Amino acid sequence: MTVVNTIRVNGVDHEIPANWQAKRLLDYLRTELKLVGVKEGCGEGDCGACTVLVDGEPMCSCLLLSGVVGGREVTTIEGLPREYLDKFSSACETHGGVQCGFCTGGVAVMSSWMKNGGTETGVEPVSKLLEGNICRCGGYQQLTNAIADIN
Amino acid sequence: MASALRPSHLPEMDLQCPTNLGDVFRHISNGAQLLAGGTDILLQASVRGEPNKLVWTGGIESMKEFDADSDFIKVGASVPLSTMIKSNAFRDGAPAVADGAQSVGSLQLRNQATMVGNVCTASPAADTVPGLLIHNCVVATIDKENNKREIALKDFLTGPGKTNLGEGELVTCLSFSRLGKNQMSAYQRFTQREALDLAFASVAARLEFEEDGQTLMTVNLALGAVGPTAIDASAAADILKGHPISEGRLDICADAASQLCSPISDHRASAGYRRQLIRALVGDVVRQAATRYGNKK
Ligand SMILES: Cc1cc2nc3c(=O)[nH]c(=O)nc-3n(C[C@H](O)[C@H](O)[C@H](O)COP(=O)(O)OP(=O)(O)OC[C@H]3O[C@@H](n4cnc5c(N)ncnc54)[C@H](O)[C@@H]3O)c2cc1C
Ligand code: FES
Ligand code: FES
Repeated sequence: MTVVNTIRVNGVDHEIPANWQAKRLLDYLRTELKLVGVKEGCGEGDCGACTVLVDGEPMCSCLLLSGVVGGREVTTIEGLPREYLDKFSSACETHGGVQCGFCTGGVAVMSSWMKNGGTETGVEPVSKLLEGNICRCGGYQQLTNAIADIN
Repeated sequence: MASALRPSHLPEMDLQCPTNLGDVFRHISNGAQLLAGGTDILLQASVRGEPNKLVWTGGIESMKEFDADSDFIKVGASVPLSTMIKSNAFRDGAPAVADGAQSVGSLQLRNQATMVGNVCTASPAADTVPGLLIHNCVVATIDKENNKREIALKDFLTGPGKTNLGEGELVTCLSFSRLGKNQMSAYQRFTQREALDLAFASVAARLEFEEDGQTLMTVNLALGAVGPTAIDASAAADILKGHPISEGRLDICADAASQLCSPISDHRASAGYRRQLIRALVGDVVRQAATRYGNKK
């Protein structure tokens, strides 16, 4: 017996085809659903470029099998509210938070979670919450400032 | 697959997501390995090309149990670390275990990774293990004949990557003791960068004070990443018992602890350096636990 294999991605239900069950959620989202805002940086859980929300919590889609996400709700950067993305991009512009942009999608997803009250212990600074998002252009301070500035 | 994609290194796999234990055992008999959060085993599959048969434990209701309010904190095999960390009762009841849980990977990974997975991977550097040892962790297992065992964590871990789980046996949950009266614990590790890095060396300590709140009655110490499994170094702390904490006695204790370990040299750190780290960490962790105890009173 298999757990439900329908997933809701950005508000739309999809049946996960049998041949995708044991493949990475990252590949399913990018290849099948063409949600290419989800990036693959390392493929090993280190960089956070592949961050998506699963039932509202950030996870690395490169270390999740699609079948395991059956019955749950996934949000990618494409599913974030337009209004939030506008705020995020103008904050990044003001603080110089984007250089090459490869990490930006993952950071946008993380930041939206933070702005919705996301926390583990209730007391962490933005920099701690952003520990799983690596920016090779090195814009951490700019990104932290940008996120702090979004209301 | 679209050619623009970097190919996944995962092998072609078979994934089963059963909702009862009977089916889990059936898939294990067919050669499947257990998949919890997947943060260790999927990496392993990408690197080694196996296992290519997995059975996910996240669909089994009984493995989702998490009880942080009893004298023994109990956590099922599919509970993510972040669920535990969010619980005040857990953080207050087993601070050293919580410190360890909070240092695993990153926030994203802690939403996926489980404590049982951390224990079963049996890495000498596993961050939750030293804290679990000093909180008297017991591993509960079951096999397909429904035989149940409860094994002390120190006996469960037998070497790097090795546990004493039998064929077709799996872990259902971990239980570990809450801090008692006049007790406090802490865990610290040394890494090159704060997140997403494995410990070069780590130390967990549990202190129990006399009624005066100054004199140490018992001290438990565990060392991580400096031997084939985490090491119980409580014997090194005998010198601290019956006295208030003093720098002189802490130095002797730290020296003794660094003698008890058997670190290896590898690309990450030399054995000598790891020994030095243990010396420094023992003092830091004992002082941190004492400070926490003072703040709580
Ligand atoms: C980028 C990255 C950073 C990391 N950083 C750290 C770190 O800082 N500290 C640290 O300690 N670890 C770290 N890890 C390792 C890993 O995240 C942890 O060990 C995690 O707790 C494993 O849990 P899991 O649920 O993902 O296990 P899985 O990968 O699902 O399983 C791990 C092992 O346990 C077995 N298993 C699972 N469930 C059971 C069961 N019920 N009974 C018996 N066996 C079972 C599996 O078959 C497998 O062999 C890191 C990993 C990554 C990818
Ligand atoms: S691609 Fe998933 S964490 Fe880097
Ligand atoms: S902007 Fe280039 S990786 Fe972050």
